[in-house]
Amino acid sequence: MNDKELIHVANLIQEAMRQLRKGRYLECMRQLGLFTSRFSDLAHASRKLGMALSHDWLVASEHTCKAINGHLTEIPYAVSKLQCLLDRRPKEVPSLCAIVDELRGLRDEFDDVAFNTEEGALCVVTDPISLEGVYLGRFRIALYLEKFAELYHKTAYYVMAIDPHPAAKDEAVTHPHVSNEMLCEGDGAAAIRAALEEGRLSDFFALARSILTTYNPDSPYVALSDWEGVSCYDCGYVMDEESSYYCSLCDNAICDQCSRVCVDCGEVVCGSCAGLCEICERSLCPSCAKTTCSSCESVCCDSCLTDGLCPECKQQQENEDEEHEDEQTIVLGGRLAGGGMQTQADHAPIQSDSMGEAAVSSGPIRG
Amino acid sequence: MKLLFINNDGGGFADYVHVSEGMKVEEFFREQMPGRKPEDYLIRVNRQPVPRDCVLQENDRVTLTPTKVEGA
Repeated sequence: MNDKELIHVANLIQEAMRQLRKGRYLECMRQLGLFTSRFSDLAHASRKLGMALSHDWLVASEHTCKAINGHLTEIPYAVSKLQCLLDRRPKEVPSLCAIVDELRGLRDEFDDVAFNTEEGALCVVTDPISLEGVYLGRFRIALYLEKFAELYHKTAYYVMAIDPHPAAKDEAVTHPHVSNEMLCEGDGAAAIRAALEEGRLSDFFALARSILTTYNPDSPYVALSDWEGVSCYDCGYVMDEESSYYCSLCDNAICDQCSRVCVDCGEVVCGSCAGLCEICERSLCPSCAKTTCSSCESVCCDSCLTDGLCPECKQQQENEDEEHEDEQTIVLGGRLAGGGMQTQADHAPIQSDSMGEAAVSSGPIRG
Repeated sequence: MKLLFINNDGGGFADYVHVSEGMKVEEFFREQMPGRKPEDYLIRVNRQPVPRDCVLQENDRVTLTPTKVEGA
């Protein structure tokens, strides 16, 4: 920015800061409105309770009491928010000269400073940032002047990745402490708020940069150790740690598409380690894949084996058994028909008075 | 002499402090930030980087901004 642009931008910033000062009072009024509406809700609930009691509607009375309790619970929070705003010392709007000096200081502090007229945003671009060996790229910190007045209940700036290297598990996380272009200020929140309220723009951008160049392993959106994700051993798909499975045999990471679950024991294995039931083609772990048909030695899962035989062999065995039974039946039937069977009557004496008659034994016919 | 001291470490307060005449920036830092290392801060006087032996003047504006701030 040249000096002429500096003065133009300084004017815009000064106006934005006037709006911010007014914005504090507007926010006080808004919070006060929310607070007094609680009392209206309580008054309304009180009338409802009175009506319910006058009709002896005890269930309705209980419901109303619960609603009253809910309203009362929210009052301390509303009071706290309002007091926090009221306690803040009113900040004077800096002079135009002071703001110009501030912009000059900003220009000296950062290599890339620009005012985006279309967006009405004062922007600073950081140097490329790497944290613990993970390259994150450069970031653009954009302070939107029209959002300045809403500083007390909305963010006035955004942090955008210029050449994004987001976390594998979430594209919106472009930095461990940036999600959806919003910086989670952490320890810097109070200082950033104070810098913006006082128009210390150089301090604000320097603080934002300090947060971007520092890794807090205790509470990132995504930890740097999980940043690159895990690559599936079978197909190479990059996934986040939580979505990955691990082969119980070789311990390699696999995605949910490539993971195989043994149908017999439930172990998770990769495609390389998995066996296959030759009958139903379901997956088997190497241990369960040792189960085979005792006849044809096909690899089978437990549910495809019957009496140690695969369905084909079992069927074959049953067929053989049937044939064997049939043969036996035929042999027995043949002997009965062809006179090959003898009875006791064959040797019985001929009765003199009963021609052709002979005593017949009641026992079994023996052949 | 009176200086405007802006400490962006923590609450980010800005206030006037009184220091002895001829005090250098390095001494000022040690006095205001005991136990801290200067290399962990951006130290600016009147919005400009200065050497450690720079002598402070009346009504100078001294700003300390930590270079490491933990986000959440």
